Amino acid sequence: MSTSANVRAAQPVTFWYGCNVLRHGDIIHSCLDILRALGYEPAPVGGVDYCCGTVKDANQTAAAGMATRTVGKLNARSAPVVVWCPSCHSHMHEFMGRTNERHFNMSYLVELLHAKRAQLAPLLVHQVPMKVFLHQHVGFNDLVPVNRMVPELLSLIPGVQVLEATYTAPGYMCASFAAIPKALEDINNNTLTAARAAGADAVVTVFHQCYRELVGLDAAGAIAVYNYIQLIARAMGLPYEDEYKAWKRAGEGAGELIGAERIAKVGIQFYERAILPELKKRPKLRDSGRGT
Amino acid sequence: MATRPVIGQRLKEYEEQEVERILGACTRCGKCYEVCPMAQYSKAPAVDSQAVVGAVHAVLRGEPGTAEALGWIGVCTRSGVCVPACPENVDPKMMMRLARMTALGGRGQPAQLPVKEDPDYFDRVRAFAKLQLTEDELKEWT
Repeated sequence: MSTSANVRAAQPVTFWYGCNVLRHGDIIHSCLDILRALGYEPAPVGGVDYCCGTVKDANQTAAAGMATRTVGKLNARSAPVVVWCPSCHSHMHEFMGRTNERHFNMSYLVELLHAKRAQLAPLLVHQVPMKVFLHQHVGFNDLVPVNRMVPELLSLIPGVQVLEATYTAPGYMCASFAAIPKALEDINNNTLTAARAAGADAVVTVFHQCYRELVGLDAAGAIAVYNYIQLIARAMGLPYEDEYKAWKRAGEGAGELIGAERIAKVGIQFYERAILPELKKRPKLRDSGRGT
Repeated sequence: MATRPVIGQRLKEYEEQEVERILGACTRCGKCYEVCPMAQYSKAPAVDSQAVVGAVHAVLRGEPGTAEALGWIGVCTRSGVCVPACPENVDPKMMMRLARMTALGGRGQPAQLPVKEDPDYFDRVRAFAKLQLTEDELKEWT
């Protein structure tokens, strides 16, 4: 039997990453490399043209149009769909898939990685010496048990010690608390307090929507924050830099890191009005917020 | 000649069926409100859990909601703790999502909650894509 006959062809999948994870190019690129290493041929799609429409609660006609368009585009790709975003995944289960003809199988990335953990483990060859505290929510876990699966994935990484998660935030991800500042303040402070009490070196998030919020704790010097994919990527030796964290840490000075050429692509006025305030935003911490 | 489907018709029908199912199955026992971890953040926390659920039903019917009901609807972030707490398997998470859509005016009734859509939301997604992806990736992935 020839050697080539023993090599299984990579399985095509559509990697539907969502919208707001586009802040974190390193996460998208790492997910693609991880999927390739596990024997998949991922075709990434996302951004506004693939929006699920879940943000349009105030306009169900728009939400329906966006959902129908996106299901149609995913159908046309004729491949199983692997989902990154918990909002997209939930919305497909609760609304999109119930009101449109879905012709593809769908799995959430955490589920897929967990099912493939025997293949993933030997790829995690670099030490990541770190005691981590999982930032978890009560929601979404009924659809995919991420609060069990992600710690089990993190435990595969040499050097990582997963501490007991003694705090569970309400909701299903942090970004939906933007309009409820007191709740978001509680989440930031409760997460920090619990992580410090557990003796954690870092807080690890499951979702990018939580990472985007909690990385403010890192930028404020309170505690290191990562997304779980970033630690898996580090253990695999993947080279992608977390630019969003660097920009967030730089705050007002983020423009120097981003560079004039890239800022010109989005327009200096838009950058100053709509992006810089997000990079400068810091959580409201009840004590000094500084690391102990 | 075949008529083109009206955008949103299936979603509208699905939501109407869900509203009808929820209104028929829910006994207003109030368990969903009692276990909700977000109720404490409402601008008008309810004392009577059964009354607040009844007022959520009113919102679902397109009628004016009480301050307590609108306050609760406004802080629902889909924790889902209410789902296993419900003795009638109503799916209160769906009830609250539909009530939110209704209260925001999204299902055709007059808005009872202020709509706070970020006008830069989608442009910000596009901008971060330009900052994080190459030209080829932008073309092929988005």
